Amino acid sequence: MLKQLLSLLATGGVHTPSELAARLGVTESLLEQMLADLSRMGYLRSDSGSTCPAAHCTECPLEDACAVGEPGGKVWTLTDKALR
Amino acid sequence: MKKASLPNVKGIPLAGAVPTGSHCSAPGRDATVNQGQEKTTPAGKRVITVALAGQPNVGKSTVFNMLTGLSQHVGNWPGKTIAQKIGTYQYNGTTIRLVDLPGTYSLTANSLEEQVARDFIIKEQPDVVIAIVNAATLERSLYLLAELLCLPAPVVLGLNMVDVAEQEGVRVEPHVLEAALGVPVVPMVAARNQGIRELVEAVDTLVKNPMRYTPRRPEIREDHRAVLDEIESLIDGYVPAPYPSNWVALKLLEGDTEITRMIRTRLPEDRWEQVHNVLKQHEDAILAVAGGRYEWIGRMIRAAVEQPRVGQVTLTDRLDRVTTHPFLGLLVLAGILAIIFWLTYTIGSPLQGLLDTYAVQGGAELTRQALAGAPPWIVGLLADGVVAGAGTVITFLPILVIFFAILGLLEDVGYMARAAYVMDRFMHAMGLHGKSFFPLFLGFGCNVPAVAGARIIDSPRARMLTIQLTPLVPCTARMAVVAFLTPAFFGRQAALVAWSLVLLNLIVLALVGIVINRLVFKGAHVAFIMELPLYHIPNARTIGLFVWQNTMAFLRKAGSIILAVSVLVWALSVFPGPGLENSVMGWLGLLLTPIGRLMGLDWQPMVALITSFIAKENAIATLGVLYGAGGEAVGLAETMAASIPPAAALAFLAVEMLFIPCAATLATIRQETGGWRWALFNVGLLSVISFAAGILIYQGAALIGWGT
Repeated sequence: MLKQLLSLLATGGVHTPSELAARLGVTESLLEQMLADLSRMGYLRSDSGSTCPAAHCTECPLEDACAVGEPGGKVWTLTDKALR
Repeated sequence: MKKASLPNVKGIPLAGAVPTGSHCSAPGRDATVNQGQEKTTPAGKRVITVALAGQPNVGKSTVFNMLTGLSQHVGNWPGKTIAQKIGTYQYNGTTIRLVDLPGTYSLTANSLEEQVARDFIIKEQPDVVIAIVNAATLERSLYLLAELLCLPAPVVLGLNMVDVAEQEGVRVEPHVLEAALGVPVVPMVAARNQGIRELVEAVDTLVKNPMRYTPRRPEIREDHRAVLDEIESLIDGYVPAPYPSNWVALKLLEGDTEITRMIRTRLPEDRWEQVHNVLKQHEDAILAVAGGRYEWIGRMIRAAVEQPRVGQVTLTDRLDRVTTHPFLGLLVLAGILAIIFWLTYTIGSPLQGLLDTYAVQGGAELTRQALAGAPPWIVGLLADGVVAGAGTVITFLPILVIFFAILGLLEDVGYMARAAYVMDRFMHAMGLHGKSFFPLFLGFGCNVPAVAGARIIDSPRARMLTIQLTPLVPCTARMAVVAFLTPAFFGRQAALVAWSLVLLNLIVLALVGIVINRLVFKGAHVAFIMELPLYHIPNARTIGLFVWQNTMAFLRKAGSIILAVSVLVWALSVFPGPGLENSVMGWLGLLLTPIGRLMGLDWQPMVALITSFIAKENAIATLGVLYGAGGEAVGLAETMAASIPPAAALAFLAVEMLFIPCAATLATIRQETGGWRWALFNVGLLSVISFAAGILIYQGAALIGWGT
């Protein structure tokens, strides 16, 4: 199931948790845990807080209009390990 | 609250009932459950050891306190700084020695707590492990259970907080869950002392009837079963007691550092080499192991849990089915964009006209009258430079307020995230780097933070491409210019024209993106997950604040740089004189006339384009100064409409939308790309694109004989 999730993500683009959960046949809560697990195993990387604009939000004039820096707007990226 | 009845018939011998195919069959324990710690005291009383496991915040401590009360002994786990709590409970002549394991999410030995918990179960082999789970978040809790079932001790599941789950609309069927898991399940509300006694009863029953314990354990994914068997046969005979060898094999596949270290020291060198090679070939086995657990959890949840169907969630889901649909979502977005323009024009433009007539031209007239005796150049500076230039920009206000109000409303309702989502899919289909969307989206507000935001992109090439494309995203300043000029030229069709101009920019962006993407780098896809907030009723205060902050930011800018540019443009259009034709501006315009002529444009709009380099909204101020120079009390829009044919106006607007980035954006590009090279490349690229688009539009219109 984790591999299935990774291959879904490997197609690229943006996904929403509800869409991914529906395609895997699990609830969003379990999906969240799977993502956390994949990130712990080094297959995914959470970008929030590090290189994400969230870190630059305070200097951005569009902070309020921005959908990115919103709480919960998690950005996960596949690592090289996952792409292999 | 009654304990769910066990699904098996009492007393059926299960010596061979270890489920086949499970990746952790914990051999030797299923059929001999109560041979571990069970002892008798000198007085002939039975003593059993029960471990209490559970994730943090599932009510494990409550259960422990309820059962042991004052009999607790608090110490430390041997050699660890983690508190160990042990207590006793008397039940039907049996002394239950209850050991509270540290609260852990799993048993992967990521933390000391996890290590302590699993070491205790493996080395001390308690008679029973009670796993406390939160019924409201059962899925999360089940992961720990999936791991517990692989350890050599039978498990009783305490399904706690069923009241909370019911309040949240989660219905768990204990009987069904019990049948699915094959372990006793006891529904409880520990905080209200419900189900505690039944839990102890279940433990007692299990200890007395070990044959009835038939857990259905998670299985490793089919394609890795052979690997697991291979590892197990390789380490056979080298696994120290009391570790179950198939559990050790599983942990080796998972890359568990502690177990790997243990096995490495036990295995002969050549045997270790073999194991190591197999592990190396199957580095992704951890996915098969953990994936198997998730599949198992999914099966259990589907069997026994009914998820809530709350109205708000369903509404969001239903709306999202349309708003995030790959095609319908784009239509919705295009529709919303069209409504934004339509509202902006039907409400904003008339107000703008009034402001222009009464505030700006009235103001300029008043200035002239008030300064009747002053030197002509002072009158010109104040009336034609300051008031006409900056004043014209201030007439943007109604449009901007409406624009920001709608943007703020969409943001507050929760739509903006959907817009981002839909746009990204669209761009992704166009061959653009997925992650580029965020900075590009910021570009709709202002290109400067958008260029800076490209930092989130890891690959230098993708970052460069994004930066090169950013100036093609129409920022608010350009939208304002378009919003100001389109009604004058196109009347009722203004909204349609403005909408098409935005579309033109996006199409050009996509085309340039595809070309650069193909030429420069073969885009590796980067995926990311965006959580879409629930739709909610907008808050007037939030939107008000949004409008206020953004409008004030614009006014501050208008008050400084735009004013300065207005004065500069006025000065350059007057000196050395006499007349515009003999001014610096006039000469500059003359230089640009050849290009302008191809687009049907006089020198004034060309000069406006040049000044828009300093700040996009300067185009309006410049036009205000240059066309207002006649001094007649006719609105700028009307004057321009009278002297520029529609096809030329459309070409001008297209060029303005696609033109080279403003000075601030250019400076940011230089800073982000570490030199002038790419900044100048961008200027060249966009000059070509914008003038080409303008010329194509005008010449195309001339060919079909429209508006020239």
